[in-house]
Amino acid sequence: MIHLLKNAISEGLLNIRRKLGSFLITLLMVSLSFMVFDIFLIISWNLGTALKDEQENVGIEVFLRDNITEVESVILADIISGMEGVRSVYYVSPEEAEAVFRADLPEQADLLTLLGPQFHLPASIQISLHPDYRNSEKVGGLARTISGMDGVEDIVYGKEYLPGLTRAVDILEKLVILAGLVLALSLSLVVANTVRLAVARRALTVQIMSIVGAPGWFVRVPFLGEGLLTGVTGAAGSLLLTMAVSWMLSSSVPHEFLPGKWIMLVLILGASSGAAGSWIGMKSGIPKPRS
Amino acid sequence: MLISFGNVSRFYNDWPALENINLQVQRGEFLVISGPSGAGKTTLFRHIWMGDLPSIGTVEVAGYRSDRIRKSDLHYLRRKLGIVFQDFRLLPERTVFDNVALPLQVAGTSPKAIRRRVFSLLAEMELNHRRGSYPHELSGGEQQRVAIARAMVAHPVILLADEPTGNLDPEVSRMVIDLLIEINRSGTTVILATHDPRQVPAGTARFIYLDRGHLVNPSIWDGYRQL
Ligand SMILES: Nc1ncnc2c1ncn2[C@@H]1O[C@H](COP(=O)(O)OP(=O)(O)OP(=O)(O)O)[C@@H](O)[C@H]1O
Ligand SMILES: [Mg+2]
Repeated sequence: MIHLLKNAISEGLLNIRRKLGSFLITLLMVSLSFMVFDIFLIISWNLGTALKDEQENVGIEVFLRDNITEVESVILADIISGMEGVRSVYYVSPEEAEAVFRADLPEQADLLTLLGPQFHLPASIQISLHPDYRNSEKVGGLARTISGMDGVEDIVYGKEYLPGLTRAVDILEKLVILAGLVLALSLSLVVANTVRLAVARRALTVQIMSIVGAPGWFVRVPFLGEGLLTGVTGAAGSLLLTMAVSWMLSSSVPHEFLPGKWIMLVLILGASSGAAGSWIGMKSGIPKPRS
Repeated sequence: MLISFGNVSRFYNDWPALENINLQVQRGEFLVISGPSGAGKTTLFRHIWMGDLPSIGTVEVAGYRSDRIRKSDLHYLRRKLGIVFQDFRLLPERTVFDNVALPLQVAGTSPKAIRRRVFSLLAEMELNHRRGSYPHELSGGEQQRVAIARAMVAHPVILLADEPTGNLDPEVSRMVIDLLIEINRSGTTVILATHDPRQVPAGTARFIYLDRGHLVNPSIWDGYRQL
């Protein structure tokens, strides 16, 4: 059994060595079409993480009336922190607001000086939300409730971009899945075609092997292996090419390369469409052994 | 019974290539099948190695029945058979050694055992000096002897030879027929299809005749002149 498997594998390697040129061309073809997918993945990965970051930051900022005392503010913060969906609250006093302003915008710091000592920034309460409250509907509801409370002057949250944000992440994910499917299909067809050609070129060998008593799988393994190898090395090649491009662009367009999980996904997609392709190719290619 | 055809018919698009064939072959027999071109000899052979199955009736070969055998078991039957064709069908990109070794390689025999068996068989058939050659470097007679070696390498129970001398000149043909007779003497059942049954000396074999898909009774058949 071991000898048999070894023979099947060496038969497959022999096939590939015999037409190394055309194998390499197929590999390049697969790599280049996979590269388009990789780049797409990188874009969506980077956009996705950026959007997720934004989503993380979705919180509510409550500005308080000038006449409110610090004790009243703290009581108000306490009430808010007990509300549903609120993860934590942080009270920002006018002095702290000014310090933050000076630190963040040193060039504009003179403005504050100009306005004189009687001017001060409003105190505020920064609310961070539970993850499942970070969508437009729930944030809106919470904001309405808080804005009706005593001592609240104004309330700010990511009204403008929130609905679009959620949709954008959604659409992006769907696009990636669609691109993956299209790619898997076209890769399968490419491999199916090369395997069918390989089977046709080796029709005599296939027939003779079957006639002299080779089990069906022995005849199929070399072709299946060829498809698998084309898929995996094609995908790996595309990752290397994409990595090179990513590295060259990294200074002008800051971005991250794909995480390990996604790289595995690309390789698995390559392997499975390669295997599927060679299966299709064999189905349509291997003749019944007639003489 | 080693081979048994029971009421076998095979139709291709309603056209009978074999019709109502009843045939029994015993272990150790030498059977010669003659008949004009298109009589169905190759089709009959194909039914023995079950590359084709009957439309009606059943074929039984070495315990495998055509109506019961599974596709995944076909290779077990094939390993009991050796098959030789008119056009040799050697693999052009393999040496003589590798061509002869093929049936053992696909059966999972160890490389050491393969070398031992192939060397001794090639020596026996006086092909040892050719073991590194490729088929296109050989004469027709040598190619057919390599094909016979390939058919015999795994010790088959039955050797099927479908017009093995069709592409050879008379002298080489005689050598090939002698080789088949010798193989039969050593115990292998041999079935030979040929246009010219006179190649085989009377008494060494049983002769049957096919005509347009039918087995015919030689004593009342008048088709000899076509052979
Ligand atoms: N796969 C097939 N499809 C259709 N018709 C076939 C097929 N195989 C054989 N036939 C027909 O069956 C008949 C018998 O063919 P077969 O090859 O068995 O004859 P044969 O006796 O071997 O002839 P020859 O001496 O020329 O080799 C022929 O008419 C042939 O055309
Ligand atoms: Mg024939």
